[in-house]
Amino acid sequence: MAAWVRRRQGPDALPLRLHRRRIYILPTRSGLGFSALLLVMLLAGLNYQNSLALLLVFLLTGFVLVVLQQCHRNLLDVRLTDADCRPAFAGERGALALLLTNPSPMARYALELELPGKSRVGTDLAADSSARAELAVATGARGVLRLDRLKLSSTYPFGLFRAWAWVHAPFELLVYPRPNGVRPLPELPGESSGLARRRASPHDEDEWCGLRPLRAGDSPRQVAWKAYARGAPLMVKEYAASAARRRWLDFSQLAGLDTERRLEQLARWVLEADARGEAYALVLPDRQLDAGRGLRHRSRALAVLALHGLPGEPPA
Amino acid sequence: MKRAARPAPLALRPLAWCAAAFVAGVALHVTRIPLWASAAAAACAAWTLLAQRSRRWMPGRSARLLLAFAGTLGVLTLYHTLNGLSAGTALLVVMGSVKLLEARTRRDCFIVVGTALVLLLAACLQEQALPVAALYALHAWLCCAALAIAAHPRIAQTTRGSVLLAGQSLALALPLAVLLFLLFPRLSGSLWGLPHPRLAATGLGESMSPGSISELIESHEPAFRVWFEGVPPPPAQRYWRGPVLHHFDGFTWSRRPRPLLAPEPRLPLGPGYHYRMLLEASARPWWYALDVVDAAPEGRRVVLTYDQQLVGMEPVSETLSFRASSHPLTRALGALPQAERSEDTVLPRERNPRAAALAAQLRRKTRTDREFVSAVLEWLRTGGFTYSLTPPRLQLDAVDDFLFRTRTGFCGHYASAFVSLMRSGGIPAHVVTGYLGGEWNALGGYLLVRQNAAHAWAEVWLAGEGWTRVDPTAVVAPERLQKGIDELLPGALSETDRLLRLAWLAPLEQAWDAANAWWATRVLEFDSSTQQALLQRLGLERFGLTAFGWAIGGVLGLWLAILAWRIGTLPHPPAMDRLARSYRRLCARLARAGVPRASHAGPLDYAAQIAAARPDLAPELGPLLSRYAHLRYGADAADCAVREFERAAARVRITRSARGQNAPSRSRATRESRES
Repeated sequence: MAAWVRRRQGPDALPLRLHRRRIYILPTRSGLGFSALLLVMLLAGLNYQNSLALLLVFLLTGFVLVVLQQCHRNLLDVRLTDADCRPAFAGERGALALLLTNPSPMARYALELELPGKSRVGTDLAADSSARAELAVATGARGVLRLDRLKLSSTYPFGLFRAWAWVHAPFELLVYPRPNGVRPLPELPGESSGLARRRASPHDEDEWCGLRPLRAGDSPRQVAWKAYARGAPLMVKEYAASAARRRWLDFSQLAGLDTERRLEQLARWVLEADARGEAYALVLPDRQLDAGRGLRHRSRALAVLALHGLPGEPPA
Repeated sequence: MKRAARPAPLALRPLAWCAAAFVAGVALHVTRIPLWASAAAAACAAWTLLAQRSRRWMPGRSARLLLAFAGTLGVLTLYHTLNGLSAGTALLVVMGSVKLLEARTRRDCFIVVGTALVLLLAACLQEQALPVAALYALHAWLCCAALAIAAHPRIAQTTRGSVLLAGQSLALALPLAVLLFLLFPRLSGSLWGLPHPRLAATGLGESMSPGSISELIESHEPAFRVWFEGVPPPPAQRYWRGPVLHHFDGFTWSRRPRPLLAPEPRLPLGPGYHYRMLLEASARPWWYALDVVDAAPEGRRVVLTYDQQLVGMEPVSETLSFRASSHPLTRALGALPQAERSEDTVLPRERNPRAAALAAQLRRKTRTDREFVSAVLEWLRTGGFTYSLTPPRLQLDAVDDFLFRTRTGFCGHYASAFVSLMRSGGIPAHVVTGYLGGEWNALGGYLLVRQNAAHAWAEVWLAGEGWTRVDPTAVVAPERLQKGIDELLPGALSETDRLLRLAWLAPLEQAWDAANAWWATRVLEFDSSTQQALLQRLGLERFGLTAFGWAIGGVLGLWLAILAWRIGTLPHPPAMDRLARSYRRLCARLARAGVPRASHAGPLDYAAQIAAARPDLAPELGPLLSRYAHLRYGADAADCAVREFERAAARVRITRSARGQNAPSRSRATRESRES
């Protein structure tokens, strides 16, 4: 069934609209029960040859058909505008955040979003509005978690029918290695004597490169507040970490551990270095990440660890 | 599925709605089921709702089983069966109540609503009058609303929205329902045997004692309705024939079950009338017809007896209609069979001796039978008799007592005495009971005959003419032929009936009866034969059952397509909140007073506009509008503040024009509007 639907619809790309050809509808168990009840009532009415009883049965039959329409139109033309996957460390819960839009002047109620077998969440959509819904996803091993089947469904308004639609968009959730391991961070070149200096700023000995516009993920500590106070737009001070002031997080340093343990240790180091605000570079057998710092760098480093040894291009 | 294993606990609101639907379903049966069953249903509903917060006050599994068992036992002792409509209904009430006690999940709620719907169906089978049908429609609406609320208790839609949606869905379903009603193939018989519902017998009975008819006169209930093809017969010929009574024991006349003899052929004289009768349920087998009916309706379970009465093979247990034709004037073609003659000339021996003596005396004075009839009628006319609904009680020799002592009586007394005198004079005669007259309903174009039109008259056999109707009551109270009993004897009416008869209410009552008649003939009476007739008129009958299927499928599809197309594009006005509603109402009032708000103007602009155009209004409206702006656009407004604004906006007095208030108030108004 699932394969047939996938073949029929082909792959999807966001934004997409739930048009008629994508919406399936069947009675729910309650709906089947209601129909059985109607059948019994019909037999009674026919047998007693009672017009009023038959009129009641036919009214309820008509009602069921109208409900079929209403259930279908509750899903019709809903738009899935945007989707975003929030990465997670292995074993933690990631999330698929979805932006739903209702372009019609009619509110949509009791929409259910479901990743089959993983999670489900309900939401309402007011008329002419958008709403965000987040589906929590439990993660297993590190790597890429493909969420390729999303189900939008609803039994609104009377719970007698369920209308649903499948979305086969390539949602990929990145699962970082679980930060784990007991080894201390590799020492800075200058700390080899064990005389680590306390420093006010990690940038003291970095080379100042210039200003660039603020981007999402930049640390507030890097913002050029003085320039901003003079009336300039928000800019970020860029430093090139000098070779002497960066930590080398090296895969090959972790002798005695298997690959996964090594990746877990590296992930932990990345988090520790990031927490200290230090620059760090990552060295893997087949790949090297130049030194850097900040949230973006952290994400890239973790992504590199997540994808190590897996087929496919690492994300930029 | 996973969810079924761990059902979400139920909130109060869906439970309350389902309980309401169920209790309303029980209420439809309250007159038919034992009182304890209704009370149990109400108590279980109250218990469920009150104890909903803390589950520990709810009965456990064993307690519920015990309750169900006790209820079943109660039904069993009362009805001696669990089968059948009445016992089944009572059992359903018991089981539904117990189910309500254990309602935990959405599924339970659905079951309770389903039970309510079955109760509604049972009510439909029991009673079909128009006013209760309206109640049934409301109950169906309630059930659907409960279904909506139980299905999705936690969505943003308001309760009002759910209720309106249920109503809208049912309204949209109505065309489909009518279509199915007209086209869905009906059975011409029953699938399984049905017990006849036990009705209290109404109308005329198998026998007539002095006073038995006057009990009927107090009833305002309809007995039947008649639609004539062409002109109806004149009032003096509106005799509706019922049971014919042959046997007399001196006090009571009774009908004798007889072998089914064929009626003697008659030669019709004068005009004939074709008509359709709609009989109300009476639990008696009489099919009333205009005196004298030509033949029994074909293909119906009814026979025409030798004494020209239509007698059904079963009692009339629900409204029933048939077509017939009658000729009020006929002449016998042959002689009276000996068996009938001897039956209709017998009188009980040694009873009513004075009446017998009177008959002999009158008989001696006259030569022919016809003269004898006239002499007896003349004697009654001049004998100082009065027509009354409340005559004194008669002794055992009822005819003597009536003719020579009380001289006050009702149609039954006169018919009884007259036939008795005829038989004493050797003329074959019998009492015919039935109805006389009827009210013409101009709106529906039919004649309504009520129970209080019940009447008794006599038939005598005159050689060469055959059975001839003689109405001795008409001699004593000739106006009875023209007027209804209500006009003749206002004392016969109860207080309510007298109220109903008030002149200005009469058209309303007629319209109401016409609606009831339409309902009974067009809706309740619609069956396989009327369906065939309809299809014939549409020219569809030769296509058979497949055509039914195609027609139904086609029109269903069409209607659904229309719905899909229309509903999808129908703009639903967004639900306005209370604040907006109140503001809009205020603006509408101001617009009526001559200061309409421009669509682009905000509340503060509007205040300025009002201050300029109507300074007299500004002192009150300026602050009010600025309050609105605060509530609307400020940080979240407290509910009480909104309500306060609502009240203030409703209270503010808006006059149509300025009343000589100018300079000082204007300056104050502008200042205030600036402040706001």
